[in-house]
Amino acid sequence: MSYAYLFKYIIIGDTGVGKSCLLLQFTDKRFQPVHDLTIGVEFGARMITIDNKPIKLQIWDTAGQESFRSITRSYYRGAAGALLVYDITRRETFNHLASWLEDARQHANANMTIMLIGNKSDLAHRRAVSTEEGEQFAKEHGLIFMEASAKTAQNVEEAFIKTAATIYKKIQDGVFDVSNESYGIKVGYGGIPGSSGGRDGASAQAGGCCS
Amino acid sequence: MQEPELHDLSDDADYAASLQQGSASMMITRSDSGRSTSSSVPEGSEIVYSKDNVTIHPSQYASERISGRLKLIKQGSSLFMTWIPLKGQSTNARLSERDRNLYTIRAVSFTDVRSIRRRTPTFGWQYIIIVLSSGIALPQLYFYNGGVKEFLATIKQHIFIVRSLEDANVFLVNDFQNPLQKTLSSLELPVYIASGPSASVSDGGESSSYELQERIGGSIHDEIHRPSQNPGRQKHKSHDPARDLTIHVLEKFSLVTKFARDTSSQLFRESNSNGYGAIERKSSSQTPPDVPHKPSTDAEIVPEPVPSDPLEFNKMTLVWGKPRQPPLGSEEWATFLDSEGRVMDAKAFKTRIFYGGVEHTIRREVWPFLLGYHAYDSTYAEREYLKSTKKSAYETVRQQWQSISTEQAKRFTKFRERKGLIDKDVVRTDRALPFYDGDDNPNVNILRDILLTYSFYNFDLGYCQGMSDLLSPILFVMEDESESFWCFVALMERLGPNFNRDQNGMHSQLFALSKLVELLDSPLHNYFKQNDCLNYFFCFRWVLIQFKREFEYKKTMRLWEVLWTHYLSEHLHLYVCVAILKRYRNKIIGEHMDFDTLLKFTNELSGHIDLDAILRDAEALCMCAGENGAARIPPGTPPSLPIESENALLYAQDDEVL
Repeated sequence: MSYAYLFKYIIIGDTGVGKSCLLLQFTDKRFQPVHDLTIGVEFGARMITIDNKPIKLQIWDTAGQESFRSITRSYYRGAAGALLVYDITRRETFNHLASWLEDARQHANANMTIMLIGNKSDLAHRRAVSTEEGEQFAKEHGLIFMEASAKTAQNVEEAFIKTAATIYKKIQDGVFDVSNESYGIKVGYGGIPGSSGGRDGASAQAGGCCS
Repeated sequence: MQEPELHDLSDDADYAASLQQGSASMMITRSDSGRSTSSSVPEGSEIVYSKDNVTIHPSQYASERISGRLKLIKQGSSLFMTWIPLKGQSTNARLSERDRNLYTIRAVSFTDVRSIRRRTPTFGWQYIIIVLSSGIALPQLYFYNGGVKEFLATIKQHIFIVRSLEDANVFLVNDFQNPLQKTLSSLELPVYIASGPSASVSDGGESSSYELQERIGGSIHDEIHRPSQNPGRQKHKSHDPARDLTIHVLEKFSLVTKFARDTSSQLFRESNSNGYGAIERKSSSQTPPDVPHKPSTDAEIVPEPVPSDPLEFNKMTLVWGKPRQPPLGSEEWATFLDSEGRVMDAKAFKTRIFYGGVEHTIRREVWPFLLGYHAYDSTYAEREYLKSTKKSAYETVRQQWQSISTEQAKRFTKFRERKGLIDKDVVRTDRALPFYDGDDNPNVNILRDILLTYSFYNFDLGYCQGMSDLLSPILFVMEDESESFWCFVALMERLGPNFNRDQNGMHSQLFALSKLVELLDSPLHNYFKQNDCLNYFFCFRWVLIQFKREFEYKKTMRLWEVLWTHYLSEHLHLYVCVAILKRYRNKIIGEHMDFDTLLKFTNELSGHIDLDAILRDAEALCMCAGENGAARIPPGTPPSLPIESENALLYAQDDEVL
């Protein structure tokens, strides 16, 4: 399927916060409470439309356990967007956000768009982190913020699309050199005219390998 | 050209026994064509058969055939076979001396021979194919002047061979006079030793795999001929260690032959049934041999030829290890045990499992041995006793965390974290399996209890994701909490470093893997190097949990028991990685996969890997690499065994640590 752009996303955050469930809800529109824990990384993809342009999201869903951080770091390379997820019912997952951010800042490109997601908003009765705290953290670190529920699908679509819209706007604003793939953006056939002439690899390769 | 088919070989056991006792009833005259005694025959040995005009057909071209002399040499109680090309008799001037040497078969002992197949084509010469116990086939030998019957009869006179029950043209070699051969026989042909000729399991595997053997032999030819046909390539490759290795291996086994063209259509059919491997191979066969990889500097993407695999002998198929056997069943398992339950020949036992795995019904008995929990020389009674003492030892450790009160837990963050993590993970482990599915499944709770107990037993290592994947099949097989725990402990003796916090165990294995790829496929290694993929993180999941996520559950168990035999190498899993990568190397290189794409690609291979084929490849690669391979794996790379672990006392060291 053709697309104007392909964005690479990475989903990060502590183990058990619901990264894989968010991905599954977004790509398959279903909630699967019982699925195998993620070892290494899993992949998902979906087409969305922004500004009437088809955009393909290729999403990397990573393992959350501390021990795997050294491996996870290698996945940041070339990510245009990151979903940093915590669990609103488990305080410690919120407390660890700073160290996740540090990893992201160190290993991703500086212009990576980061969306902070407080997941499990359906479990508000067990809430351990207030919405305001989440907002505050996001504001301090220049992140977009949303609470969401992979279970009810609340804000899941929005979180992925809003991130993409932000990336798209950065492209329009000329923040990215889209011909440089290290920004996590590949230009497809409907991309910005002229810009794809610089490096054919972008369109040719992206079309073939990401179905 | 054909010889009349005579039933001259009496295959019954009585006949063989009479031969054993030295009462040979059949005198064989030497064939008339090659009476002269070669000076190369050492003293004390006797040429019992010699035949000229026995010819190898390296290709379909008549001009490339090499005529030689086939001899059987008896030395003491051993029988050897040689085939030496005859100088000046070859019709082919193009054939170099080196090629000639490569084809030479130097003194192959019949203790190393598994079977001999006789082929009688409707048109053409009768020929034989000799399959070594390593599973590798020697070149087809065409008897231009006849003599196959005499050849077989002579062998029969000196060693024990029997006609395969499956195929009257296959003769299984089985020399009782040599203790080594006895070992090999019990491994290769348990049927004939253990349960008599009524069963036909292993020999069925033999014949059904026959075409494969021919392929193996046939495939070698291409590789050997390329250098002479393409001097430029040879020059380019002259310092390629993998290539030298290839030649070395070829010389070692004197592996050369070319299978008839008529088999290729069949091969292609088989390749096609093999998923995308077929497409890949097909495309590779259309690719020119070896053009150095040029980094693309131009804006234009020109499809570049994929550098050829230095070990890829045949473009039609990459499978070249020994055919897999049926799994070890309970009856055969019983033959490995003495009356008190000791495994009499641990090596033969492990070898048998390496080539076929075990039937699920006896896994519960067999796995504890493979894992090192049970000593091979332990008796039934000792194991029963061990079971009871280990049960109470397990319960003692389990009690350590079970006795932690809620109040205490409040002040024990480490414990709460571990328990929380394990609680979360056991409900995300193999829940699709009936054994673990449903709410409040007791097996899920046992999984949790064992992992939590292990995190106290080995507090330094604790719990890490991936452990539940390793434990799940063990509990599924053992169906006993304490026994599963101790088997898991034994497994973690080997794989624990996979879960070290600093990941050094993983890094050392991935490093060793890169070294093996460098050795066994230097173009692929170079590709990874150029594309910044040398960290091999795309194999991370494979190594971390021993391919658990790459195969369906049953296949994973089969693979694990094969790996756990540590037959050929403790690091066979790394050769499995190499085998998988090699199988898709042309796709990887041809499609210019970058790190991201490669990671996604290897991830998505899950469920698409043919286990048996990959195991055969891995075995062949391991043998091919030999000492060179072992030398590339730094000492201490997991899962290297602790010293003396073969004979248990695994836990003595733990006591010292404590």
